Amino acid sequence: MTATSAAALAEPSNAASAPRRLAAPLWVGSLLILLAFLVIYPVLMLVFGALSDSNPVVDGFGKFRPSLDHFAQVLANENVHLAFFNALLACGGGTALAVVIGLAFSWIVVRTNTPAKGFIAGASMIPLFVPPLVAGVAWGILGSPKTGLLNTAFKWIGIDWRVDFYSMAGLILVFGIYYAPYVYMFTSSALRNMDPSLEEASEVSGASAFATLFTVTFPLIAPAILAGMLLSFVVMLGIYGVPAALGAPANISVLTTYIFKLTAWSPPLYNTAAAVAILLMIVTAILVWAQQRVLVGRSFATVAGKAFRPRSLNLGPWKWFTLGLAVAYLLIVVVLPTLALTIAAFRKFMFFKDFGALFDTTQYSFVHFNSVFDNPLTMLSIWNTLKVGALTAIAGGALAFAIGYTIHRTTVPGRRSIDLLSTLPVAIPGLVIGVAYLWAWIGLPGGLYGTIWILVLAFIARFIPDTVKALSTSFLQIHKELEEASWICGSGLLDTIRRIVLPLARPGVVASMTLLFVLAIRELGSSLFLYTSDTTVMAVLLLDYYEGGNTGKTAAFSLVQTAILAVLLGITTWISRDTTRNVRFN
Amino acid sequence: MKHATTMAAALGLAVTLAGLPALAQDEFGSKELIEAAEKEGQLTYYTANFAEVEQEVIKAFNKRFPKIKVSMVRAPGGQLITRIKTEAAAGKLAADVVDHSDRGLMKDIENLFQDYTPPNAADYRPDAMVSPKFWPGVTLGWAIAYNTALVKNAPKTWMDLTKPEYKDKQIGQVVGPSGGTTWTRIMFERQVLGEDYWKKQAALGISLFPSGAPTSDSLVRGEISIAPLLYNIIYTKIVEGAPAEAIFAPEGVPIIPYADGITKTAKNPNAAKLFMNWRLSKEGQAFAITKLGNITSLKEPPAYPKGWDPKVIKVWVPDFAQFEKLRDPWLEEWNKTYGYRQ
Repeated sequence: MTATSAAALAEPSNAASAPRRLAAPLWVGSLLILLAFLVIYPVLMLVFGALSDSNPVVDGFGKFRPSLDHFAQVLANENVHLAFFNALLACGGGTALAVVIGLAFSWIVVRTNTPAKGFIAGASMIPLFVPPLVAGVAWGILGSPKTGLLNTAFKWIGIDWRVDFYSMAGLILVFGIYYAPYVYMFTSSALRNMDPSLEEASEVSGASAFATLFTVTFPLIAPAILAGMLLSFVVMLGIYGVPAALGAPANISVLTTYIFKLTAWSPPLYNTAAAVAILLMIVTAILVWAQQRVLVGRSFATVAGKAFRPRSLNLGPWKWFTLGLAVAYLLIVVVLPTLALTIAAFRKFMFFKDFGALFDTTQYSFVHFNSVFDNPLTMLSIWNTLKVGALTAIAGGALAFAIGYTIHRTTVPGRRSIDLLSTLPVAIPGLVIGVAYLWAWIGLPGGLYGTIWILVLAFIARFIPDTVKALSTSFLQIHKELEEASWICGSGLLDTIRRIVLPLARPGVVASMTLLFVLAIRELGSSLFLYTSDTTVMAVLLLDYYEGGNTGKTAAFSLVQTAILAVLLGITTWISRDTTRNVRFN
Repeated sequence: MKHATTMAAALGLAVTLAGLPALAQDEFGSKELIEAAEKEGQLTYYTANFAEVEQEVIKAFNKRFPKIKVSMVRAPGGQLITRIKTEAAAGKLAADVVDHSDRGLMKDIENLFQDYTPPNAADYRPDAMVSPKFWPGVTLGWAIAYNTALVKNAPKTWMDLTKPEYKDKQIGQVVGPSGGTTWTRIMFERQVLGEDYWKKQAALGISLFPSGAPTSDSLVRGEISIAPLLYNIIYTKIVEGAPAEAIFAPEGVPIIPYADGITKTAKNPNAAKLFMNWRLSKEGQAFAITKLGNITSLKEPPAYPKGWDPKVIKVWVPDFAQFEKLRDPWLEEWNKTYGYRQ
């Protein structure tokens, strides 16, 4: 089905036979049906919930009494206004910081001769693997106003300065550093695939390296920057762990913590939460529309048929400065929180009378690790998580490739709708979409509920936007002439995809599948409703340790999770390095 | 047998269970029930309590009945109820036994549960019950916890928590609207400690937390010095050697009896009954008190937590009708008093 229908997409229409003419609509139709099942159906359940007081499964559709009460309540509630304002401030500030950091970083790694680039590139992705809740906890340990490790250290050194991460500034900073990898991921692959002759032309014409950066390089990778910006902003809007750990002690409420309150309320107000979620979806839809308006009608193709060699700017002695920047960044983003987590994981208790108490070795032991691995659920959850993550990455990666290719490389009618549908889930917070999936899929025949497949489906649906967006930049950058050359040489569409598109887009494909794997492993909101005793996953167990007030066990378990992810990241980096090396069109 | 003897001795139980197998059988159910339960060999247990805690309960149950495998599903209260309702409506409710902290929510879905009475039904306080189908397998109680390295003059009563010496964010507490357990405490504060208790305490400057876990964590870390906490949350940390201590105040200990029941659609009804019987038995309750830091809803507790003098300390159980009726208006007032934006 995929083979024949896809084959028709790029055929000149005058040469197409009747079955082939049917293939394109069939292909688009089946993608739309799949997306309808994964996205529209659960979202309809959500709209249904927001517009009524009933649970569609429990009460049936018969009791549906539409009313706009929930929306009216939500819009009139000044606490919602405040939460909305706080969310915009925290996520806006966080995004700005993420763009600065992510862009600077990808430039340093891809385009300069800064030493130890491979190491910097690997380490800079680590924050992405840290569950938001753990990040929040780690920065709470570091930056709490009274006993934070940083403040204890300042006191010890004699510096009369204190930091307070239980604040809006703390929230922005943590958001910015943890979501910079999104921007980095998008921009670094764009920079890597960019033909440096454009920059050379700029410099030959007399522009300085700095001017070239801002007038040629960054404008050329604008789709990647915008995509990274949008994604990181929207992802931040949906994060619960960081504002819960850092905002709550300062009484700073954002939309997600507000929604969490609604679902934790007694009785839980899912219908009101659904109304808040739909407002969030509208905001996101506006942002996506704005992004498309900015990009429309421009060509960002920078990978053409000509040979090029990735260019590395010789910074001279300044390379030590960029290395210093990178090291400082790594210290703040990776070393400090990991250190805090490691201390928390190995230390019996996190109470320090003074800085010297930190070095009291009698306080350290493997007790938290022992108790984590004593729990029979630990190994089960690790195994389940790996299974679900791998299945999600493979199936979701294939779907994202099909969607991305259809949107960006074909002109079939209906591709705009596919684009829109595949962007929608990004706007819905996990906690709310979790219940929508439950409502939508529990009644399906065939015993899907209670298996790991329902988790796989939920994760694919929830992260389609992230995966497709991560892939899109790769597609946008491959010039049409490469495919045309292949067709002229007599290759069919599938052959062209296999021999030209896939190899060129492979770094993007691997990156997006890795991203999907990571997101699936971290995902809590939808897991909470769909897991059963046999299919429990790591994120659920982590929440349990956190909710039990076990910082030590939470930290120990998140170190285990980070270690697993680091191994996987190592493997995928190795794969993508291997593939990039093989792709040369000289 | 040796296990049981050691345990019973350690727990200070009045009855030496190991020496009286027949009695033990009666305590947990008839011979037929035990046989039928062991034949089923498994059950599925839904709980709103912490998984780690319930894991210990299952372990202890399996020491007594090793042939019955208990599979657990754990989710926070509100989410668990939504899940149960939806599963039941789709005809896919997997739970044999449900353990939930919010009696009000459970009361709403009473029709999903079957009639059940444990062998020692008469030993339970009637005010801990909201329905003859539900039994308090878990009962939690509020204590005053403090960091022993930071607090020189430890509080001894609830009223002490309004003293100016504890001002400037030394006291932390969980926000009122966080759930049924906290609502029980703040209802107690207003009904027993006085109409102006909140106002006096709020004037000191209080650190607010979304739930008990970060509160107890902050207390151990020294971010705050004193906090009202559910005893079980801080108890295990004290046992492990954290710089913390907890006391029960003489004005009363607000308790939260859970509502646990067996579903009508239970696939393993006998194993479910045996599991409930064991948890509600003296042995099960004594285990929960001494190992987990629970309280009990038994009229005559089989054990007391450390520092609990039964002559002085009295439990306080909220009136269920008022618990439901006063909740919204009082919480709104609490939010205003403590400057918490809901």
